[in-house]
Amino acid sequence: RRRRMKRTAPRSTLRKIIKKHKPQLRLAANSDLLEAWLFYFTFKQERPGLAMVHLNFLLFLHRLAEEARTNAFASKSKIIKPEHTIAAAKVI
Amino acid sequence: PLHPLQAKPVPKSLRASRKKACEPEVASSLIKKIFSHYVKMPVARDAFKIVEKCSERYFQQLSSDLEAYSNHAGRKTVEMADLEVLMRRQGLVTDKMPLRVLIERYLPLEYRKLLIPVAVSGNKVIPCK
Repeated sequence: RRRRMKRTAPRSTLRKIIKKHKPQLRLAANSDLLEAWLFYFTFKQERPGLAMVHLNFLLFLHRLAEEARTNAFASKSKIIKPEHTIAAAKVI
Repeated sequence: PLHPLQAKPVPKSLRASRKKACEPEVASSLIKKIFSHYVKMPVARDAFKIVEKCSERYFQQLSSDLEAYSNHAGRKTVEMADLEVLMRRQGLVTDKMPLRVLIERYLPLEYRKLLIPVAVSGNKVIPCK
């Protein structure tokens, strides 16, 4: 139906980036707080925190994309130009 | 035999310094792919560079926000709750748009399975509500 996008998260990269900015900060391996369903993590050795960071990043890019597209439409441009993304970034 | 030996060290040191300067960041190809998937229209090459820069700024902001949230809770570890609070503040998670829906919509199956429990074998639903 639509083009396939690579969907896996670069988890170690995400962790490294956060480490770069805040070396003392740790991401929870599994957090069973908040809501009951979260305790599913305890059965897995994954880091859902990173999946969440990835989700947040995806949403950020989605917003940026939408905003840039709106800007491009407003200036009757057929392609996304740098100024559209810069303006979008300022809004977000 | 001396000449080739002397010629070698220069590029090697160059290579080493370049490797050291490399900062951890999300692969630009991945950013490009995700962004173009969402815009659904052609994007100029310079515009992608801006997107990359924005992503870097975004991670900087994200890290300090997460630090603030976990510090506020008296923890040194970022937990799921911190991320949910952050996403609520960003206006991504609202009463009409719960986190669960976002996860279902944006993340691939293997991560969904991590974050949202499903019925498992043995007629057990994790977790039981």
